[in-house]
Amino acid sequence: MVDILDAFLQGLIQLFTWKAFVLQLAGIAIGFLVGILPGLGGPVTLALMLPFIFTMSPVEAFSFLLGMAAVTATTGNITSILFGVPGEPITASMVVDGHPMAKKGEAGRALGAALMSSFVGAIFGALCLAISIPLVRPLVLSVGSPQYFMFAILGVAFLASLTGGSVIKGLVAACLGFLFALVGLDPISGTERYTFDTLYLWDGIRLVPATLGLFAIPEIIDMAVARTSIATSKVGKIGGVLQGVKDTFRHWALVMRCSALGAYVGILPGMGGGTSQWVAYAHAVQGSRDKDRFGKGAVEGVLAPGAGTHSTLGGDMVPTVAFGVPGGVTTAILLGAFLIQGLVPGPPMLVPEAKGGHLSLTFSFVWIIVVSNIIITAICFLFLGQIARITEVRSSLVIPFILLLIYLGAFAENNAFGDVVVMLVFGALGWVMVQADWPRPPLILGLVLGSLAEQNLFLSIDNYGMDWLGFPSVLALFALTVLGTFYPLFQRWREKRNKPQYKQLAAVAELQAKEAVPVSIWLPIFSLFVVTLFAWALWQAWGWDFRPGLFPWVVGFLALPLALLQLNLDIAGAVKTIGQRLVKARDQEATRLTRETVKISTWILGYFVAIWLLGFSVAIVVMTFLYLKLAKERWLIALVLTFFAWISFYGLFVYLLHVPFPEGLLFAWFRQ
Amino acid sequence: MKPRIWLLPATIAALFLVAIPQAPADEFYKGKTISFVVGFSAGGGFDTYTRLIARHIGKHIPGNPTVVVENRTGAGSLVAANYIYNQAPRDGTVIGNWIGPLVLQQVLGNKAAKFDGRQFGWLGVPTPDSGVCALTEASGIKTMDDWFNSKRPIKIGGTAPGSTTDDVPKLVQAALGFPMKLVEGYQGTAKVRLAAESGEIDGGCWAWESIKPTWAKGLQSGEVRIVLQSTDKAHPDLKNVPLAIQYAKTDEARALLAIANGPYAQGARPYTVPPGVPQDRLQLLQKAFMESLRDPDLLQEAKKSQVDIDPVDGPTVAKLMAGLYDLDPAFKSKLTKLLIPGADKKN
Repeated sequence: MVDILDAFLQGLIQLFTWKAFVLQLAGIAIGFLVGILPGLGGPVTLALMLPFIFTMSPVEAFSFLLGMAAVTATTGNITSILFGVPGEPITASMVVDGHPMAKKGEAGRALGAALMSSFVGAIFGALCLAISIPLVRPLVLSVGSPQYFMFAILGVAFLASLTGGSVIKGLVAACLGFLFALVGLDPISGTERYTFDTLYLWDGIRLVPATLGLFAIPEIIDMAVARTSIATSKVGKIGGVLQGVKDTFRHWALVMRCSALGAYVGILPGMGGGTSQWVAYAHAVQGSRDKDRFGKGAVEGVLAPGAGTHSTLGGDMVPTVAFGVPGGVTTAILLGAFLIQGLVPGPPMLVPEAKGGHLSLTFSFVWIIVVSNIIITAICFLFLGQIARITEVRSSLVIPFILLLIYLGAFAENNAFGDVVVMLVFGALGWVMVQADWPRPPLILGLVLGSLAEQNLFLSIDNYGMDWLGFPSVLALFALTVLGTFYPLFQRWREKRNKPQYKQLAAVAELQAKEAVPVSIWLPIFSLFVVTLFAWALWQAWGWDFRPGLFPWVVGFLALPLALLQLNLDIAGAVKTIGQRLVKARDQEATRLTRETVKISTWILGYFVAIWLLGFSVAIVVMTFLYLKLAKERWLIALVLTFFAWISFYGLFVYLLHVPFPEGLLFAWFRQ
Repeated sequence: MKPRIWLLPATIAALFLVAIPQAPADEFYKGKTISFVVGFSAGGGFDTYTRLIARHIGKHIPGNPTVVVENRTGAGSLVAANYIYNQAPRDGTVIGNWIGPLVLQQVLGNKAAKFDGRQFGWLGVPTPDSGVCALTEASGIKTMDDWFNSKRPIKIGGTAPGSTTDDVPKLVQAALGFPMKLVEGYQGTAKVRLAAESGEIDGGCWAWESIKPTWAKGLQSGEVRIVLQSTDKAHPDLKNVPLAIQYAKTDEARALLAIANGPYAQGARPYTVPPGVPQDRLQLLQKAFMESLRDPDLLQEAKKSQVDIDPVDGPTVAKLMAGLYDLDPAFKSKLTKLLIPGADKKN
């Protein structure tokens, strides 16, 4: 016991040799930048930094790398909240409620809440790492393929039934996510599914461009149409930040539960922050009495993913350290660092140094996560007031930079031009979904977990035949899924029944008022599109074998009736709207909205065409300058900002990272 | 006298015309940049080897070019292979790194592979993948005799057809005929290890170079045993482990094992230049490749990262790949049935 305590303290002391500490600061600085920039993700940057650790001692190496990994999600949250553009794929959930808060002028409060809950989550995750390493073996080994499959279904079902007002829309959106996850070459049977004979689609739809499109493009359109700064009301005093911190403690139980959820998802290999953020978010919605506030700037919707995502890293480290099976993408790359340092993950990591192990190094991981988070949180709090002010900058100055960020972000993760097209397609889909009031989170989680669910379903069948369906753990998870999906419906029904008579009358009146709201005649058209998509997907899948075909069939047959039901509801609504002559005449405001929407959409597409014809380097200069000038900015501002955009692009992506940007089509023609 | 100004540009143009095509290989790389194009994302095994070589090869090429690494991912590195063959500049400034079994896939009729493996310039392979089968203690299989006599099929974890984890056990099983069931679909070898430890499967077959550092604990404690090697020579670490070839009884069995030991082992991680790179430049790159893999600085870094180096030279790899194009048609259709999923239905 004394050994362990000694190692625990040694772990902390080791961090404060000057070299280790300077390297940790360097790691934090890099992580800060990487987190803020969308597309430039934590894992890729970690991989690029691996060669630098050859000459470092283990503690120095992990101070550098883990320090970097620990902070990317923190600053990724800032981008998500302020601009509605996910700074990291694992901070996409922060957009859902964090960005609406920024729009309401509560950017400070949202950032404060995100930072504080992240901090708490990170510390929680680090503690999990400290105490659970000896216990982890049975925990991880008890989760086989059948349980993985059930976890994936459970997570998606929960999120689908909880976010957004309509359970039907949520479930259909989740099925859309599953459907998109099926795109690509089925690796086992070699069947091409929905690939349109293009090699690019063999790898399926990648998460980063899909997330960027789904969440960022509707935001840009919104911002341009509103023609104001991001915050439509005045940003409150810096006091907003403190408010956010207080919120963390006001909802202490929620933050703790989400931290625990995040750490557990992290401990499961293969599931990381991409999943835990949404699981935590769904949990926050589920636990709330007033579900309607979510998606419109509820602070719980910021606290939950903040805590959940950050505790995941500590959780992810557990199986990595304990038996060399990385918990997520980030830790998969950190595993490379273990090997470079000549460390063998496994029991020796848990034996004190005196007996030939590396226990104090393992404890130093805990401390690195803690110390890095203390530093980054302190830095962010210092500048939070100023950072929040960004939301007050007028949109014409912000939009060209956001456009630059999303195009770079979509391209640079995999250096594939197809990703840019995927981003645009998902941008259109995302915009329509917002207009038609469909929830986007279930779609993203479906995309994240779709292939995991499918693979583990077949692994279960291959390993256990049909027996796995009878495993007690599988049955328990199934019951939980059903309960979680239908409980919200039951809850609503019960609330209605239990209300006193006069309140019931009031509720009825409210409901009637709600139904009288005109339903756009465009809604059934989108539902029809969704129905057609599933019908087409089923029709395509008809000739496929059992292996590649099972999942498409199940998803299609599940989604088609639900989508038809939604179509029916939408048509009924539209008919009523027309029948009761509720169709609003097009007033001036509506005309202006349409015009502005068309205008910004043209810019977005024009930017794409410019990149295609001129290549990134030239297009960035041309489009940034044109946008600023046509928005009637002054020459000096336009020139300086354009130069700034170009130099940050060139310095970082071309000079430092050697991203192979494709040549513009025009230049390619001229050369031939 | 009228100055003949026009002569100046004409002379420069003439100089260019004469000078460029004749630049000898040893001056060609001066001030140039060589790009390594890896078919997998940053941080993986292929990327690790490439960045290791990229850090050192510059000093072994006359003119000391700058060397950069690009990750061009997609379709299990097929995107990179197609890019190198069809689009990359053919002047020796781009070097590709993708999986060797793709050449076999092309031979067996994969239409998406848009290249002829004989036309690439082959620089070499940093180390062969030494295929071995690792089984857990819980499987009850300690020796090959146990495996041959097993009453139940031994469950081997695979990732996807086309990879070593799946194709090597299929080839070895087809050659030797022991009871085996391949469970495909695990996401990477770490998941195969995990499933083996939890008892879901009995083990897996892939490169010893990867198993040694990642499954060290299991190997030390005896929870995991290496029972078979698919290579034709024993790995120095594994002198007492039998070779598959010892159990091969027919010519066909030996031919199947030669495939397992060819593109999946000797030629598993090749470095290539596009067709049409001038011969002298190709030879220069082949030489530089081998020299940098014997560079003490590189070897020291490799040792630290626990990355094995045992280079196979370019001409050897070229011969091995070209050999795949001369396979007997009957054997080829057997391989197709064995290795290409859904092949019997398509034909």
